Amino acid sequence: MKKRLYIELENCIGCRSCLAACTQCGGHEQRNRNYVYDVNPHVNRQTMPLMCLHCENPACARSCPAQAIQIHETGAVLSALVEKCIGCQNCTIACPYGIPKFDEEENLMYKCDLCIDRTKDGIPPMCASVCPSNTLQWLTEEEIEQKQRRHDLDNDKWVTSMPYLEGATNVKVNLPGILQGTEKLF
Amino acid sequence: MAETVLRKPMKATHSINNAFASKFAKSMFLTVSGIIVLMFIGTRMFTHVDLNLYGYMVGTFVFIAGFFYRFIAWGERPPTKIIIKKGIKLLFRKSTPKTSVNHLGTYEFIWNRGIYRWTQHLLIGWGVILSCLVTFPLVFGWMYFTMEENGYYTIVAMGMDLMTVPADGVIAFLSYNALNITAIMVIIGVSMALYRRLKNMQARAEQKFIYDFLPLYLLLFISITGLILTFMNVFLHGAGHYAMSLIHQYSVIVTLIYLPFGKLAHIPFRPLSVFARNYREHYGEQSMKECKVCGDEFVSTEQSQDVVNVLGTNEIDFTMEQDGFNLAELCLPCRRKYRIARFSGFPTHEVKTKEANQNAKG
Repeated sequence: MKKRLYIELENCIGCRSCLAACTQCGGHEQRNRNYVYDVNPHVNRQTMPLMCLHCENPACARSCPAQAIQIHETGAVLSALVEKCIGCQNCTIACPYGIPKFDEEENLMYKCDLCIDRTKDGIPPMCASVCPSNTLQWLTEEEIEQKQRRHDLDNDKWVTSMPYLEGATNVKVNLPGILQGTEKLF
Repeated sequence: MAETVLRKPMKATHSINNAFASKFAKSMFLTVSGIIVLMFIGTRMFTHVDLNLYGYMVGTFVFIAGFFYRFIAWGERPPTKIIIKKGIKLLFRKSTPKTSVNHLGTYEFIWNRGIYRWTQHLLIGWGVILSCLVTFPLVFGWMYFTMEENGYYTIVAMGMDLMTVPADGVIAFLSYNALNITAIMVIIGVSMALYRRLKNMQARAEQKFIYDFLPLYLLLFISITGLILTFMNVFLHGAGHYAMSLIHQYSVIVTLIYLPFGKLAHIPFRPLSVFARNYREHYGEQSMKECKVCGDEFVSTEQSQDVVNVLGTNEIDFTMEQDGFNLAELCLPCRRKYRIARFSGFPTHEVKTKEANQNAKG
């Protein structure tokens, strides 16, 4: 059963478990590849995670002169192949979400690979495995459709990819704040 | 063919390019002709061709065809084209020799990935490069040995007597054993690499047999069969030499033909990292792009524009009409905050505060 990463942004409590879990994934060399941001840092404590959304037409891979960024058959946009990455950093400029990280000393880009060692076998990525607030979930297409139906308030507020993202993505996101008046069970 | 339909009306030029059906045909013709001319000179008009190495010669020509097939297609990709074109233009920067030695000779960036990995890569990398530098001149007759006076070898390079050395001297010893030494380098390096791939959990998570192990086994096979040849000659009075020489030859040719299509393709292609470094340094000195939100300089204006153009050729455009900038014009933290802003509706990127620590190590 093909599953996707699904992000329910408004659930985030800012615990940063996803960052810590990311460092523990095999192949990540103990460094995290995702982000958690304060939405309005001087005013309140609302946070949101920012992950690679694994675009269907990834700008990072399109701009890579070395073909170092490969797209896995599951749709995951992989981290740079270590022997191919030439350190030009085109991908960091191309990515509309600012996801790829660059290590100057190792002359190497690294980015979220959706824990490909796990997700290729249907095991959820590290971030979704540990998220205590169900912000990051690992769902089947049917479950995502259910979410979509539940969130469909007929006011264009449900988004999976378009138009609030820059293109179709393999990771699905819903916008926060659209469940006002709906009781939510975690 | 589609290509002929799309081609612009040909101007009445007498360019050499008109003589060839394709870039591939031209590259192949010029390279093979060049090698044959060099062979003609090196072998004193084909009088010193080592026919024992004939198989390697044919294998090399097949390799060149595969190489051009793979790399011409790759060079046509828009981002690759830009970096090759600008890289060649910037090739004579002052820093090029230093960067080249650093990236292609001493591999400082691999040292930073780990001293174990650096050691294995140095042994494999230089073992392979030195082996090629010995093998191919011998195959094409650019270098050979004659013994005009008993006990003294004359080293002939490109048809010219280079030097005469005693047959039991140091230089002669190193010449006979060059490939044995490089074989031992490669065997140690490959063994280290195999050990790492079997034991290291970080490596095990992402490796694949065909992509990561096969090249190592091929290199190991070449090195071991080569060393067995030496062993047979020195200790077994040449017993089994001919069979083993064919096995060795076969292993080399298979690896050569495979080289442009697997992990080993990074060997011919890696000099591009020097191009990339020059590109970043040169255009960075010329003018830096300021982030449209926070004003920090984060990339050269040239590269920012190149990336926007490359994405344009892929029909990707990240111009944010409502905010009046292209996403490639924002520095990375601002671009991430801008995305949060798009999610939440609150302009996070306009809050003048440094982004919180995003490193899980604290």
